[in-house]
Amino acid sequence: MKPQEPIPHNYSIRRLNWIFALSSLGLLVVTGLIVGYDYIRGWKWFQLEFMRMQRERIVQEVQLASSAENKQLLANLDEQTRRNSLELAAHRDQYLSAQKAFDAMEGDHYRADQDYRFAKANLDAQRYIAEVSIVQHRSDAAQQQTEYERQTKHLADLQVRLQEVTRQRDAAKANVDQWLKKIKDAEDKRKELTASVDLLDKQLNLVDMDRFSTNWILSQPMLDFVNPVIKIDQVVLNDLSIDMNYMNVPRVDRCQTCHRAIDTPGWESKTEAARLSQELQQKLDAYDIPQEKRKETEGRIAELKRIQDAPSDILNPWRTHPKLDLFVGSASVHPLLEYGCTVCHRGQDRATEFGRAGHTPASPRMEHRWAERTMLTGGFFPLPRDFEKRNWGYEENEFVETPMYPRHYYEAGCIKCHSGQMSVDRGDDITKATQTVELYGCYACHKINNWRFSDLRKPGPDLGGIAEKTTPEWAFRWISEPHDFRSTTRMPSFFYQRNMVDPSVVPPQERAHNIKLQEAEIHAIVSYLFDKSTHRSWSPPGAGDAARGKQIVGSVGCLGCHVDTEQVKDEKTGRIRLAKREDFPLERNYGFNFTGVGTKTNAAWIYNWIKNPKAYYTDAPMPSLRLTDQEASDVTAYLLTMQKPGFMNTPIRPPDAQAVHDLAKGYLINTLSDRDAELRLRSMSGHDQLVYLGHRSIEKYGCYSCHNIKGFEGLKPVGTELTVEGSKALHLFDFGFMNDQQWKNEDGATEHVIHTVPSWVYNKLRNPRIYDDRRTKVYNDKLKMPNFHLTPEEARRIAMVVVGLTKEKVAENRMAGLDARTRFIEEGRKRVSQHNCRACHVVDGRGRAIASTIADANFFPPDLSPEGARAQSPFLFNFLKDPTVMKIRPWVSVRMPTFHFSDEETNTLVTFFAQEGQRSQFDTARNVNPTAQNVMIGKQVFTMLRCGQCHVTTPVQNPENPPVPNTAETASLAPNLTLARLRLRHDWISDWIRRPNEMIPGTRMPANFPRDAATGGFQSPLAMAIDTPQFAQYKATLLPLFKGDEKELKRTMSDAVALTDYLRDYIWSIGIIQMRTASPDGQAPSMAMPQPSLPPVAAPAAKSTRNQRGAPAAGSGPGR
Amino acid sequence: MTMKKFVTMLFASTLLFSIACGKGKEASKQDQGEDDETQTTTTAATASNAPAAAPAAAPVSADAATLTGLVKFEGAAPKMNTIQMSADPYCQSQHGGAPATEEDAVVGPAGELANVFVYIKDIKGNFPTPSTAVTIEQKGCQYHPHVNAVMVGQPLAIKNDDATLHNIHAMPTANSQFNEGQPIQGMVSTKKLDKVEMTPFKIKCDVHGWMKSYMAVMPHPFFAVSQTNGTFTISNLPPGQYTVVAWHEKYGQQEQRVTVGAKESKALSFTFKG
Repeated sequence: MKPQEPIPHNYSIRRLNWIFALSSLGLLVVTGLIVGYDYIRGWKWFQLEFMRMQRERIVQEVQLASSAENKQLLANLDEQTRRNSLELAAHRDQYLSAQKAFDAMEGDHYRADQDYRFAKANLDAQRYIAEVSIVQHRSDAAQQQTEYERQTKHLADLQVRLQEVTRQRDAAKANVDQWLKKIKDAEDKRKELTASVDLLDKQLNLVDMDRFSTNWILSQPMLDFVNPVIKIDQVVLNDLSIDMNYMNVPRVDRCQTCHRAIDTPGWESKTEAARLSQELQQKLDAYDIPQEKRKETEGRIAELKRIQDAPSDILNPWRTHPKLDLFVGSASVHPLLEYGCTVCHRGQDRATEFGRAGHTPASPRMEHRWAERTMLTGGFFPLPRDFEKRNWGYEENEFVETPMYPRHYYEAGCIKCHSGQMSVDRGDDITKATQTVELYGCYACHKINNWRFSDLRKPGPDLGGIAEKTTPEWAFRWISEPHDFRSTTRMPSFFYQRNMVDPSVVPPQERAHNIKLQEAEIHAIVSYLFDKSTHRSWSPPGAGDAARGKQIVGSVGCLGCHVDTEQVKDEKTGRIRLAKREDFPLERNYGFNFTGVGTKTNAAWIYNWIKNPKAYYTDAPMPSLRLTDQEASDVTAYLLTMQKPGFMNTPIRPPDAQAVHDLAKGYLINTLSDRDAELRLRSMSGHDQLVYLGHRSIEKYGCYSCHNIKGFEGLKPVGTELTVEGSKALHLFDFGFMNDQQWKNEDGATEHVIHTVPSWVYNKLRNPRIYDDRRTKVYNDKLKMPNFHLTPEEARRIAMVVVGLTKEKVAENRMAGLDARTRFIEEGRKRVSQHNCRACHVVDGRGRAIASTIADANFFPPDLSPEGARAQSPFLFNFLKDPTVMKIRPWVSVRMPTFHFSDEETNTLVTFFAQEGQRSQFDTARNVNPTAQNVMIGKQVFTMLRCGQCHVTTPVQNPENPPVPNTAETASLAPNLTLARLRLRHDWISDWIRRPNEMIPGTRMPANFPRDAATGGFQSPLAMAIDTPQFAQYKATLLPLFKGDEKELKRTMSDAVALTDYLRDYIWSIGIIQMRTASPDGQAPSMAMPQPSLPPVAAPAAKSTRNQRGAPAAGSGPGR
Repeated sequence: MTMKKFVTMLFASTLLFSIACGKGKEASKQDQGEDDETQTTTTAATASNAPAAAPAAAPVSADAATLTGLVKFEGAAPKMNTIQMSADPYCQSQHGGAPATEEDAVVGPAGELANVFVYIKDIKGNFPTPSTAVTIEQKGCQYHPHVNAVMVGQPLAIKNDDATLHNIHAMPTANSQFNEGQPIQGMVSTKKLDKVEMTPFKIKCDVHGWMKSYMAVMPHPFFAVSQTNGTFTISNLPPGQYTVVAWHEKYGQQEQRVTVGAKESKALSFTFKG
């Protein structure tokens, strides 16, 4: 066979071989590169570094555990074991015989046990046979029955035997153990000592990354799919989904992939460790930590000290979360496995690279530090950069839709789940932020479709009757610059702002022109308002005494909502300066500052406004203090002395006709041709032109959003809707030329705009016209949001709310406060906030701003913390509608005002209190009648405890006017107890007597039955006292009531619960049961309005004449 | 060429991991060394401090120093108003013809200021707590003494000697508040305050608005209250350098630095201005 001829080729095989060889080599290299690219990830380095840190720490701990001291201890123990063994050997015979006896007993026990079990089984079988033979009427029934009884007896014998043997065996065992015990004890101690070291060794194995260790091999490329040590760590959160347009996908948080120690204590930063250890140390020093926890706390402090003393600080991302007790910690309310991270912080959940995760710098400095690049700038292999300087190679990522909230805006994340709550527990920042938004009325111009910000009243006063209240000259100056008149006002400045007049950004010529236009607009607005205003005539006040007026203002409660001075002493410099809003608590900024009210308005208006604010406009937030004509006249006289000299002296130029014409025409040509517009203007008088322009200007600036203005009813608010503003993409915010620019604000602070949404919003709030800088815009296109002169802190808070308003949704079960009870409570809280109840009262543990103006705490308005548990709903309803129905502490000068609540609103409040006190609104206990015997015992207890020393029990004929005894100084008086039956819940009375200080900390009501420190039970002072000669007379009276049973009497006298129940029964028995109900419109009966030109106020229900001056200190306040 | 660079980089990075591990081990070794060093220094420090700390453990030592002093009031002595006790006839009856005067500023004829609470602010150590109770009496509707102090954990007995209702309303800031009624003559309430409060807090009676007393809770026994002659004595004080604070309910507080040697007796003087 001849060899096959080579197949002829048109190409060179040799060359092909080369090509194949080279390309396969190339492929190999590329494959290697692919593997490498896949293998080398930035996050792996963070894990490796963390493992190194862990190793370092474990090694240190191992050293501590195996210190010389411990070694000595171990040696001692070994020595002891050895000695014990020797001793055991010496008494070997005794030990062996004991052991032998025990072995024998074990055998006996086994046999006895077996016998017993078998006999028991046999007995069960016999029982069946016996039963069957009886049922089937067998002949051997009786025989079987006898057999059954015999076996029963046998079993009982065996049981006794078994018990005996067991006892003997246990004794033998104890005998043996006695010999072994010493050795065993030493061994146990040894185990205890070495256990910590063993545990540490195990932990060390887990983080071991030595070359060729198991972990090392398992993390090599191509091998790391088996059981990788370094891997992505993630939490899947189905309830907290992400909206991917048209579908929701679960959130998958991978943050711990790098933030390794986020939920593990012990990795705090040095500053954080210092803060925590200081906190703990303070608590420890003040004995604030229970004895059994002291050691644990000391250990924790030592750990924190070690962190502080360590040569290097623990850097992010390896730090522990600073609020482990609230977030991330497994025992916290937001555990990591259920809530993850991005639901609060935002950011790209699945991302594992620094930039892609959406990290957002808080300041330009931080941004530059992050972005600085050192080694490999490209990022093909995302290696760790210079982590000591924290240069992460950060690059702003325009495509991350949900960048993280920067540091100062963290609590914005709370809104997502907590927007149905008025306050977030331990979320002080966000609670204050939402309050700030409410206070400034942001919701009025910017619709916020969210429970928290809907259904609120317009923040500004009604302007329908402005001509009755003030003059056009005042209004002109006020609109020009409200802060010139009142430094604490919340009315923002619309005119003469940065983009109109600031010489540094507006050329001089344009500036002069702008001023003319602005003046024309203000004139136009004033003309419109006064043109449309009503002109009712108000009755003038009588002669008033300003000094008495000042005293009334200071005492009846005006200062809960209002401030009467504009001069405050600066805490830092000690100098007197103009007041700022933050000088006063939130509640006292609710009403206006009295300064200048005499300049602004006139006597008749003030007089009628304080007499009945609702007469001026029906939705006035100001309640009626029920002042008499004389009191109102006095207050009017005082308020008229509150002048702002000089304010009315600033010159007003008449409007520039050309400017009015141009502006008006600018509006007209939107719908008319140039010629028609000109004709229309010519047909109008100068005043008409102004009014027309005023209408347009009010529309332009949106004055109607905050004020009621005739002709603008039902118009949509002027500003951008903010409901989902936080989800708006970055590129939709107009930064103008301000990106990465510094600018100087009017208060002298330098601000810096960086390219993030929070920064944009913050700078906008600091100066709303800032983004017009260097832009060329026509007059009407310029930004027109007014300037609220917010402090950096206020601006930050409001910006926090704005960026927190997102379209992200969470499952309903993750929303806070959605259950029915919480809804009732939150609705009530909203009312409480709207009506500023906290100005005078403590509600939910906060409030009573008025306290700073009342010298004696005995005359404070009441703490309402236990109100739901305390007050009967019918009483509360009547009292809220009309506080004159009952005067609980007539000697208190601060009055509960009449708010003219609607029935619905009153019910909301009553339900709120009841639900918060975990009570139902109505109960039958109010109809209970105590037995005569109980009442008699109660009366004696009442006398023995001297309750009457402070509490009055004189029957009240007229609850609206209870008598005030003169026996003690009024500061030590307590409510008249005959009002209790109408007012207090039956069960609450005895509960309150038992533990007043637990219900209202700091109350004046003393604990008559103090708790025993050891047992926590109530102690009765009468237990011992009843036998003393002092109390002989009481004892004599009481004995017959206990049928002469002295033992029973003494038992009762030591039973605090029984005694308080008797006291309650007595108090109940002396109670009056009648009170006037509130009239349907919530008006106090004597409050017929004297205004002649008003529609008549609903006729009084009953008792139309009441002489207020007759009451000793005509005042009223709810009970303590 | 570039490919070669990549391959080297790949290897380099793999190596980097292993090196990092190796380095970690070395670093930890180094740390151990440093740690040992700090440990020894701390023990050395305690050793050198030991003699100074010793007296603290045994309060009455042979070296104990004594601080005495006088508190003066400068300026016109404030008028001591009489207390209007007519609200409670019992109280009024207890003072017969001479109505009681207020005690918020008790100044002697030569300007000696009484009821000033003087204490050492900055002494460290563990001092045994006496088990005997400190007693406040309510007599004639006034507190006796007006200013006083207990040590942490020392029993405080409050007694009502009056046949009227008193309530003891203590208003501490660090300790928990208490407010107990004492309707029975001769009744005693015993309390333990377990947190340090060196600035005295107020104890008042809500039934009788004029009744006020002040109480401090001290971690050590080095405190005194100035007598009606303005003097005070703090004895058994270990030698050392201290800050002495004098506190008065109306005139605020003052501080002085003082150094006392062994067995030394030093006199201080404080002057308050009206």
